[in-house]
Amino acid sequence: MTNAVGEKRGENSETAHVYANVYRVLMAGMFLSTTFFGIGVVLALLKPAFVPLTADWVRAHYHWAVVLAGLRAGDPAAFMLVGTLLLILTPITRVVVSIYVFLVERDYKYAAITSLVLAIITLTVVLSRFGLQQKG
Amino acid sequence: MSYTVPFVLTLFGAAGLTGFLGALLGIGGGIFIVPVMVLMFKLPIKIAVAASIVSVIATSNAGGSSYVDQRIANLRLAMFLEVATTIGALSGSVLALYLREWVMLLLFACLLLYMSYSAFVTRNVDDKRIAADDYANAKQDRLSAYLDLRGDYYDQAAKRQVKYVVNGAKAGMGISYAAGMASGLLGVGGGVLKVSAMNRYMNLPMKAAVGTSKIMIGVTAAVSSLLFFLAGLIHFYVVAPVALGTTFGATVGTLVMNRLKSAMLKWIFAVLMLYLAYGMLAKGLALGLNIHLPVIS
Repeated sequence: MTNAVGEKRGENSETAHVYANVYRVLMAGMFLSTTFFGIGVVLALLKPAFVPLTADWVRAHYHWAVVLAGLRAGDPAAFMLVGTLLLILTPITRVVVSIYVFLVERDYKYAAITSLVLAIITLTVVLSRFGLQQKG
Repeated sequence: MSYTVPFVLTLFGAAGLTGFLGALLGIGGGIFIVPVMVLMFKLPIKIAVAASIVSVIATSNAGGSSYVDQRIANLRLAMFLEVATTIGALSGSVLALYLREWVMLLLFACLLLYMSYSAFVTRNVDDKRIAADDYANAKQDRLSAYLDLRGDYYDQAAKRQVKYVVNGAKAGMGISYAAGMASGLLGVGGGVLKVSAMNRYMNLPMKAAVGTSKIMIGVTAAVSSLLFFLAGLIHFYVVAPVALGTTFGATVGTLVMNRLKSAMLKWIFAVLMLYLAYGMLAKGLALGLNIHLPVIS
């Protein structure tokens, strides 16, 4: 769809490729996370249970085994966790995919700019986890 | 917390409205949804803020994909300015350890007041310039020309293709840096500042600024969300209805935005920035100088 729009508009192929790929990543992220969130909410409403509002309860789910078992058993939290992760990873995937497309198109100027964004993001996460005291 | 249909539906509805407004304005909308969660449902503020930041990604995906498809978002400009916003957000979270919060609040309040005034007085300029095809005529600075920053989109309100060339790359970078800092330091106001800066200093038509900001806010929000996630503050049961609501609202919002006149968007912006500036001013004065202004909430 986007490629067709691009061709009709007389864009150069590089621009059309960048837009088409970014569009695909965003749509995929939106549909996948919406599906997982939707299943999670419906399951949670079908099986009412008391849910603690604590970080410890949340972090108890941070194991692959717990998530996989939860998905199989129809645990709402497992579906919502996968939805959350897919959502958070979407913009970062968008940056990574853009770097790739710029490299394929030999647009090194923008490949460098986008890589710089990825480097700063990585630095922020690393500093926040291991260096700086997290705020709040 | 017990999970009930009214709880889920209210959160979904409030988030839907947030997503709708966020899509019209190119902003995250944390200022709308956080008070609902905290005041109506008495959720802990940290859980509310974390859920709101994740929902910014949802609104950026839903709104951004549509604006990318319509070419309202300028991806090259977004990637260039993301360098400034991500450095801003990083230095904001570093500065937060050393700076007094009230000084920053007052500084950002002044900046927002000025931008609000500027959006208000120039509210009719955009539609006239679009009609005269004036956005295509600006002289580019060297950096904007080197980066080949330009674009065009179809404006459904003006019923024409709007071409524009970008200038003022340095001023735009400066304010994007400040916008990133506002998000890193105060958690709000990033999108509002970016849209205004692109429109005011970079020769971007209002709608292109909204679309470009919409796609940019996802990256900053993803970084914050990742940190909240690792800290265990993203509560799935709260995030799920909020993310679903903002996705729905943003999708509807993108259908409406391009049909509105730019003057209308700038009106909403001027009011929103005035409101934000007042909130920051009141909080800053109370924290720093113990002066208490009446609170609007």
